[in-house]
Amino acid sequence: MEGFICGSVIAGIVFLVFFFYLLNTARKKGNVDKNQFGKKEFAPVYVSIADRPDSIIRGMNKFVAEAQKTETAGDKWRWIPMLIFFAGIGLALVDVFIFIIGYSSSFVFIAGGFLLWIAAFIMARNLRRSDLMDFSPRYNGTKEILHTLRDDLKPGSTFLGHLDLTGAMLQTKVARETQDAQKRTTQLFNDPWLSLKAKLYDGNVLRVTAVQKTKKRKSYWKRSRISGKNKLKPEKFKGSQQELKVRIVVNPEAYKIKPNNQFSQGKDVGKYKIEQLNTEGGMINILAVSPFEEVEHDHILGFLKTAYSLLERKAA
Amino acid sequence: MSRKIIPFIVAFVLICLVMVVAGVFSFSGLAAAEKFNSSVVASQSFPTAESMKIIDVTGDGQDDLFIQNNSFVAVYDPNFNILFSNSFSTPKTTLGDADGDGVEDIIVFHNATGMSVDVISRGNQTNIAQLLNIGSPSRVALIRFPTGPQIVLGDSSGRVLALSTDGTVLWESNVGSAEIRGMDDARIGGQIHVAIASNDGTVKVFASDGSNVWTVNQEQLRRMRAFDLNADGNSEVITGGEYGAFKIYNAADGQVIFEKSLGQAVSEVREVELNGEPSSREIVAGGKDGGIWAFSFNGTTATQMWTGSLSDKVTEIAGLDINEDGKQEAVIGDDAGKVAIFTENGTRNNLPDHSSGITRIDIGKLGNERYVVVADYNEVQTNKVTFSSIPGFQYTPLVVGVIVSAVILIIAGILASIPPKPEMKLSLQDKSRESLEAQRRMLKEHIADVERLRKAGEMSNEAYLSRLKRLRGDLAENEAAFKTAGFPIKTETFACPNCGGTLELGMDKCEYCGQVILS
Repeated sequence: MEGFICGSVIAGIVFLVFFFYLLNTARKKGNVDKNQFGKKEFAPVYVSIADRPDSIIRGMNKFVAEAQKTETAGDKWRWIPMLIFFAGIGLALVDVFIFIIGYSSSFVFIAGGFLLWIAAFIMARNLRRSDLMDFSPRYNGTKEILHTLRDDLKPGSTFLGHLDLTGAMLQTKVARETQDAQKRTTQLFNDPWLSLKAKLYDGNVLRVTAVQKTKKRKSYWKRSRISGKNKLKPEKFKGSQQELKVRIVVNPEAYKIKPNNQFSQGKDVGKYKIEQLNTEGGMINILAVSPFEEVEHDHILGFLKTAYSLLERKAA
Repeated sequence: MSRKIIPFIVAFVLICLVMVVAGVFSFSGLAAAEKFNSSVVASQSFPTAESMKIIDVTGDGQDDLFIQNNSFVAVYDPNFNILFSNSFSTPKTTLGDADGDGVEDIIVFHNATGMSVDVISRGNQTNIAQLLNIGSPSRVALIRFPTGPQIVLGDSSGRVLALSTDGTVLWESNVGSAEIRGMDDARIGGQIHVAIASNDGTVKVFASDGSNVWTVNQEQLRRMRAFDLNADGNSEVITGGEYGAFKIYNAADGQVIFEKSLGQAVSEVREVELNGEPSSREIVAGGKDGGIWAFSFNGTTATQMWTGSLSDKVTEIAGLDINEDGKQEAVIGDDAGKVAIFTENGTRNNLPDHSSGITRIDIGKLGNERYVVVADYNEVQTNKVTFSSIPGFQYTPLVVGVIVSAVILIIAGILASIPPKPEMKLSLQDKSRESLEAQRRMLKEHIADVERLRKAGEMSNEAYLSRLKRLRGDLAENEAAFKTAGFPIKTETFACPNCGGTLELGMDKCEYCGQVILS
């Protein structure tokens, strides 16, 4: 009897889990697009940029439209796994009915119902796999940056660079690993997610690199002082910051560099703080750091605009 | 291969699998919806029947119902009219043709003038022996030895006494020192012997002159029966122990042929032809806690066919071919009054419950009909057992298979209609020469940056290789774009023949996979 109750409880839990899995598939609520640290994850897109701004923006819009087309193609079938699930129950109930009217059955219909459940699960999984995660705000932000700078570009030239939204904490983006006294390993990630180079209308060459630097402590085993048991401590997110590297190679025929107090080392510009500023050799090299995990595109544009205050137009 | 075709190929393979399995189930007859039922035809009050048999004891060619309890022996006709009855003190009975008239007689071992033996032949009772040197009756059997029939008596202290059919004492012996719990005829080399077991675990086989052929001692036992399971002229002696030991001995030499621990006291053992295959015989054992085990004996050893259970001590097991398919079903009763039919594969079908524990079950023809006669602690019932099955049910696996196949096909169609997920890499490239050259310069700058970072220790080896691979890939794409546009370009990259990663010309070892490159 206890075995029967235990089996029934387990079967009930499996049934409920499966039901809600299919229900969430049908209602498109199943995608967990958060990583282990509770941060929202986005579609892992890599865009290689070597085109005119309008073409880039058009290409990026087209890419989003294509992705949405894939999703909407699967959307109209999302209730089908749920229907197959109920068809499986219906089929299994035939065996129950046969049992109720006193016949011993070979569980053929229950087996058929179980096969339908497996089919429903496979279909639901495939539908979920066709789901796309949301595009990162950086994707649209980059479009805005390109759109804003489009009129400043030298006619006929292109933006060059990349937009890497594949993730800030990939193993391939580990810059360094350090160990503390307790031999716990901390990884430092360096993710240059945006790199842009453009020849500008005024003859200057602008280079912008946005980098996200992240720290993560790896999971480790720790022996409990009280019980003596080994416990696995999970990975820990230790913080993140944004860096913006800007280099302006100044056209000496059009500008001369004139440092000022508003844009100098240690000054805050929007969400950024200027850490390094070098104006020697006809080039402006700036390194700005933001303690914020996310810096919106208008702060980058604002920073670039402010950086131009270092330039004074020569008289014609 | 087109991704629109792959789901259909997978679906086709799955459908084939499903339909093959469905076909196997359908045409092997494994799928069946069957129902056994029983209705009470007649009943007679008769408390605690110890022995019961449907057999012709009157010699009229019609079977009668013989019943015995701890104080009464009676024979009824199919309508429960009494043909014979008499009271005895602590009787034990057996059936056999003692007087050689071709009709089964009832042999009663009881306590009257001392320990006595009476033979009831065609309703006429004759005392053939009294004041016998033996204790309280425990078992009696008529054994047809080659030298002639003998009535073998066993008492509650392990004493055994053999009489001729006229009551002359032929031989006596002891089997352990506890109650005799089993007495059966056993063949050795085709010759009848008698196997006797006592509660203390002693098992002995005697010849017609009372000489002991062999003796074994095992754990305390509850049941002993002997059957010639493989018809080789040597019987098998089956014992069920107090602590679950189930053993099969060779009657010729007492060697253990098969043994298994069943985990509970074995309360009953019977032969039932479950699989209808005459070359192997099946044994069904019942346990004190309701366990049921079916074994098949192939002449050398036994294999377990299935196990089942009832809710209380199994008190009786009988075999009956109810659905007339050539295979017997095991009709099993327990001490809680449950009666169930177990089929060849162990499927349990309950028959109506009895108000008290089942003591005996027998199957046979009473009048013109075959009945299952069930005795419980209060009464004896004749039951008509019926069998019904849903016609055509054996083809339901095919129907279910078609439904599942249809669903698989629909799913394949849906999955094939969903367009592929777009690749998450987007390359936006202007095809003008100036733009391609600018891109090339930028890529080279990036490669130089990556190498500088690595040298400065600001990049792990894995990250370096990954970034380099991507940048070199972009460089290769740039070269391809140059060529497509028809602009002259000096090729600087090539693909690793092993991993496909893009490398710079002149490298003789792939940085990504370690492949040595001869170029």
